[in-house]
Amino acid sequence: MSTTTVRTSDRGASGTRTAPSVFAQTLRLTRTEFTLFVRYQTAWLYLLMPMVLFVPLMSMPSAPAFGDYTTTDLSIAAALLGIGLMLGIGHASNVFAARRESLVLKRLRVSGVPRAAIFGGVTLLVLLFTLLLTALVVAVISAMNGTTPADPVLLGVAVLLCTTAMTFVGLLITSLVRNAESAQMFSTLPMLFLLMTGGIFFPLELMPGPVGAVAGLLPVAPAAEMAQAAYTGYDVFGGFEGAEAVGTLELWTASLPSIAVMLVWIVILALAVGRFFKWDPRRP
Amino acid sequence: MTTQNTATAVENGAPHTTAEPTVVVRDLRQRYGDFEAVKGVSFEIRPGELFALLGTNGAGKTTTIETLEGFRKPSSGMARIFGQDPFGQPAGVRERADAVLQGSGLMDDLSVEENLVLTRDLAADPRDVDEVLELVDLTEKRGLRVRQLSGGQKRRLDLASALISRPEVLYLDEPTTGMDPEARHETWRIVNDLKASGVAILLTTHYLEEAERLADRLAIMHRGEIHVEGTLADVLAGWGDRVGFQVPDEVRTADLPEVEGARCEVETRDQALWATYTVTGGGVADRAHHAVAALLAWATARGTVLRHLQVRGASLEDVFLQVADGTADLLAE
Repeated sequence: MSTTTVRTSDRGASGTRTAPSVFAQTLRLTRTEFTLFVRYQTAWLYLLMPMVLFVPLMSMPSAPAFGDYTTTDLSIAAALLGIGLMLGIGHASNVFAARRESLVLKRLRVSGVPRAAIFGGVTLLVLLFTLLLTALVVAVISAMNGTTPADPVLLGVAVLLCTTAMTFVGLLITSLVRNAESAQMFSTLPMLFLLMTGGIFFPLELMPGPVGAVAGLLPVAPAAEMAQAAYTGYDVFGGFEGAEAVGTLELWTASLPSIAVMLVWIVILALAVGRFFKWDPRRP
Repeated sequence: MTTQNTATAVENGAPHTTAEPTVVVRDLRQRYGDFEAVKGVSFEIRPGELFALLGTNGAGKTTTIETLEGFRKPSSGMARIFGQDPFGQPAGVRERADAVLQGSGLMDDLSVEENLVLTRDLAADPRDVDEVLELVDLTEKRGLRVRQLSGGQKRRLDLASALISRPEVLYLDEPTTGMDPEARHETWRIVNDLKASGVAILLTTHYLEEAERLADRLAIMHRGEIHVEGTLADVLAGWGDRVGFQVPDEVRTADLPEVEGARCEVETRDQALWATYTVTGGGVADRAHHAVAALLAWATARGTVLRHLQVRGASLEDVFLQVADGTADLLAE
């Protein structure tokens, strides 16, 4: 090794030092997450998996729902959230379990990176890819049948809320598993459960009353309704039967309860991740 | 006769003994259910001081470090870094502390340089990447992915990653494992430079020579407790000097003399009896002399010769093995 000596820093008498802001650290980690995603071939599977969702939906029996829209249109609108669901749960649980195992997360923490930046980096990456894929799917649908979302901003908000919640579910899963392999296996359970109870493959009205009511409060169905409302421009929050076309303000007003439920879920999941996330692979 | 010399950290400059301690640990306990991994450990580390925590397998060293790193809340007792509870790595602590973890923690899919640039971009008041690469002699490897590095090169990159944030408190958990002797010596030089610049360092290592070279003070843990603590000289002085010889054939074990301030043990080696007097009484500087003089006077009076007479101070290994009760659990924790 060289004979360079270790220099001390010029520091104030109080010893205080200011690190980059959490936001700046989050953006920097997102950049690295992107590099790692591109270099990690398994991650690409999570980009392809959600695309498979749309194949069975296209071939499902279709019936008129309201206006010019069919049940297939509504399923496809809700399935847009499946992209963030699969990517959030699958990618976050897989890479964070792997990084905990290889002490990468612990190394980041001991070098002074706050938890919010570490979680924020992967969440932003998942959001970025989810929004890109969603835009791609919407473009393909638009090219195929000429329909475009009535309120793309509301659709974006639905995708953002659902993807954030699902990424936190993925992070939470890592506290239940020991390594990346078990994270891959275990994550399929909540993934399938939330897909089935999210109103993607069939409307919640088809479920028994209390089950449908509970499913409607889980962290996918409210966002799925928002996506359907955003895509069609109809107030679908009281069910498809009797849904009416409404203006932007009415659509957003009708969406507020769903937005509130999703925000409550995001807060609960964020608190749970903060409380239960394990940084150390060593178990006492 | 042979003597054993030990290079100590004293040669490397005294720590800032008048400064307030940077790290304070008081009666720290860590329990996991019924199992108590750390049982009332206390120590302090001042700026410019290196405190070595040695111990047997499962002694509780890593649990103690993880508590200081902020990953574990003490079951009881307290830990303070810059006067703050480190649990959860609060602001005011996290920007000023860093660590070389026992198991690395590098991103294998990034290059050497990408790892360091990331660490630099996230740190407060970081060092220059080129400077740190040169320091650990990885300049020529900067473009390689971490997974392509050897074990020793990865360890050097671990050290570089910890140095780039310019820490004021540094935890080194077996930092030279896997390094070749040259790299290990260079790491020792870097660590001594860090001490001289005022960094408070906590070191765990299974290389006792490393602790002898670097530590201003050290402690030996066993089963969650500190059994021995002090400067190397204090620790060795407390465990006495050894005077050994082959027991003459004509002398029965019971006839061996009592020596003031010394305890005699006899063992069989190579089909011969060997006596070892452990001298703990009297002044550290001249106690071995008085013991040898007494034994030689006794031998002269009996008209016999003390063959293979040896005098040596206790080594850190002697102390370590005695603490460990001679058990074989000396593998890496």
